[in-house]
Amino acid sequence: MSANYWESTQKRYWLFTKDELALMRQKLEDENPEIVRMFPLPQPRHLAIYFNQQLLRLGKRLTIRQQAMATAQVYLKRFYTRVEIRRTNPYLVITTAIYLACKMEESPQHIRLIVTEARQLWQDFIGLDTSKIGECEFFLISEMSSQLIVYQPYRSLLALRNEFALVDEDVQLAKSIINDHYMTDLPFLCSPHTVALVAILLALVLRPNSSVPGQNSSGAAAAGLAAAQAALSQAHSARSGQGGILAEIPSTPEVKERHQENRITRVQHFAAWLAESDVDIAAMVDATQEIISFYECYEQYNDKFTREQINRFVKARNLDK
Amino acid sequence: MNPTNPSTAASGPGSGKTASFLNARAYQTVKRGVMATFEDGRDQSAGYQPKARVTERYRIIGFISSGTYGRVYKAVSRTSNSEGIAVVRTSSGLTPTSNSGPAPIEVAIKKFKPDKEGEQVSYTGISQSAIREMSLCSELRHPNVIRLVEIILEDKCIFMVFEYAEHDLLQIIHHHTQQPRHPIPPATVKSIMFQLLNGCQYLHTNWVLHRDLKPANIMVTSGGEVKIGDLGLARRFDKPLHSLFSGDKVVVTIWYRAPELILGSYHYTPAIDMWAVGCIFAELLSLRPIFKGEEAKMDSKKTVPFQRNQMHKIAEIVGLPTKDRWPLLPSMPEYSQLNTLSTMQHNTHSHHHHHHQNPPNRGYPPSSHLEKWYYNTINNNSGAGSAASGPNGQPALQSLGAEGYRLLAGLLEYDPEKRLTAAQSLQHEFFSTGDRVSSNCFEGIKVEYPHRRVSQDDNDIRTSSLPGTKRSGLPDDTLLRPAKRMKE
Repeated sequence: MSANYWESTQKRYWLFTKDELALMRQKLEDENPEIVRMFPLPQPRHLAIYFNQQLLRLGKRLTIRQQAMATAQVYLKRFYTRVEIRRTNPYLVITTAIYLACKMEESPQHIRLIVTEARQLWQDFIGLDTSKIGECEFFLISEMSSQLIVYQPYRSLLALRNEFALVDEDVQLAKSIINDHYMTDLPFLCSPHTVALVAILLALVLRPNSSVPGQNSSGAAAAGLAAAQAALSQAHSARSGQGGILAEIPSTPEVKERHQENRITRVQHFAAWLAESDVDIAAMVDATQEIISFYECYEQYNDKFTREQINRFVKARNLDK
Repeated sequence: MNPTNPSTAASGPGSGKTASFLNARAYQTVKRGVMATFEDGRDQSAGYQPKARVTERYRIIGFISSGTYGRVYKAVSRTSNSEGIAVVRTSSGLTPTSNSGPAPIEVAIKKFKPDKEGEQVSYTGISQSAIREMSLCSELRHPNVIRLVEIILEDKCIFMVFEYAEHDLLQIIHHHTQQPRHPIPPATVKSIMFQLLNGCQYLHTNWVLHRDLKPANIMVTSGGEVKIGDLGLARRFDKPLHSLFSGDKVVVTIWYRAPELILGSYHYTPAIDMWAVGCIFAELLSLRPIFKGEEAKMDSKKTVPFQRNQMHKIAEIVGLPTKDRWPLLPSMPEYSQLNTLSTMQHNTHSHHHHHHQNPPNRGYPPSSHLEKWYYNTINNNSGAGSAASGPNGQPALQSLGAEGYRLLAGLLEYDPEKRLTAAQSLQHEFFSTGDRVSSNCFEGIKVEYPHRRVSQDDNDIRTSSLPGTKRSGLPDDTLLRPAKRMKE
């Protein structure tokens, strides 16, 4: 329900295992062998990065709030589990997802304004006709079975902020990790609070390196992953009664400075808290890995190549008409 | 996406307004055939294609009602599915019956009015309120909230398919006003109230405000289950990005409007629904709206007027609100209006037995008259004759006792912070005293309520569009007249 994730359609219908997700996507490709063969696409994560960037570009022009942007991201992801990408004009779908998400999140934007701005960005792909957006809205809602209420990790993050003594910089870092998780499959694989906890943990272990991993150093990411996994396995064994939670956490080489020690204490506190909670630690381990491997994959992303592949099928199949 | 849409209103045989919805099945079959030929050779990526069609899945019985939002039809699911079209959408989990299931289920289909009317309807974007209703109804699952069966998006229209309820409280109340006027049995009142509160509690714990509770929106199934319906104005209040006040300024039919709204409050809370529940409780007892004010219309500048007459009606029974009982009262935007209200009453009303009271309250009871109102109501049973009496010659409603008054007073409390919540009301002694509360509000009663009126001659689901009756101004006695129909 509205404030109850556990009863929500998101939990009931939009949570999958990795296998289920792979199967759904495979099915879409199998149903469209011709176009899949004719129009090869970059790997799904790179597509997701591209879509995410395009979505953010339009969001920025319209100064759309975080919450609505996050919802739009989820709409886009849900839609493409049901519809083969090559059958759509992704620029139209992105525009429509934002249009719909804004209404859903109580900050509506006029359809004409959205179309005008989208056209500024993607002149070759978006026409002036607003009824296209209206039609695509039907398509989106129908494919999502009218299940439009989306729970986001941001709320859990803010709710847990004091629990883990997060300072603004931690929250910022955790938020950017949450922002990034929309480029992965995590919104389908785990609950929003799991994502929030993973983001907090990563923020705790990665700061004060304090940059979003992947964007400059994969070394930091690797170290972060190690520390995060250590904390999680600690929490896990503490919960199953196999060891004291305050036992020493395997430390990264540079544990010298005082803020580093402070960081360790906070990570310990996090692990202790986790051990006491009902949170699915195995899911957190998977999610942590998913995020870290995403950051690694990010480094191979080629924007130009991805854009060309997409634009090619849109143009060749006249999907922009 | 390709704009080609073979299913626009004017494209098929019998185009225009001639194809009646009742006969639409044959029409749809023909159209289907036409479309199929079309579709096979056509690129599937073209325009939006509905997954299901209303007339393929449901047989329309007739027209129920209309409003600003659109129209409501009664229908039954098609069970013998020779066309084999209605694919069960497992992901939604909402599909009522399997295609071969023996029992067709009755449904009410709400068709949203397209923004622009006329022959050429185009996609204009779905209104925010429709988005709200669609998304909320898709999430809600509770025995006392009307269940959404599915939503079909077809021909640029939205069709929301709900479970069907044979009755509603407006109709039930109306039935009891028929001669000889006779009260609703106390066990029925109790059951209705409990179920209504239960539904409210569910909505409120899930951060949903209904905002338009009134007898016409409270459905009752033939099995005596009460179901809160019409979430057309409902909103989430857990994380409003904008003040809930912005956007739609006038909410809740005026007779059920909470005093804080009348006094211009910017903040909606669940308490506004609870006031409406109190009004409905009173109406179940007396069979007429307790605060039947006249709505002040919006002036030409579109400013929201102070609902003076409604405030007056409330004050007549429960007295004027005071700072003592409602500390935040002076911070209400329209607080100053209360003084002019007193003056007006002072000038227009005789106040022979109030002349010892302090001036601002002149014309109104110094303290609440609600208790007097309550006991008059349950003792007189609305002036009913012998039918009003219980087995031992006592008026039947007397069994609701002092607990009934305390519940009513708790719901019609001026201060929204002191007003009973749904959860508190469910724990109220009213429900723990006396007979067990039944989950079937008709249990043990012989009354056969009339069935919902379904009209046969206005059922063209595709083309008909009525000038909507104004939602908040809808007179509550619509039932006395045949449903409004207009020839086009």
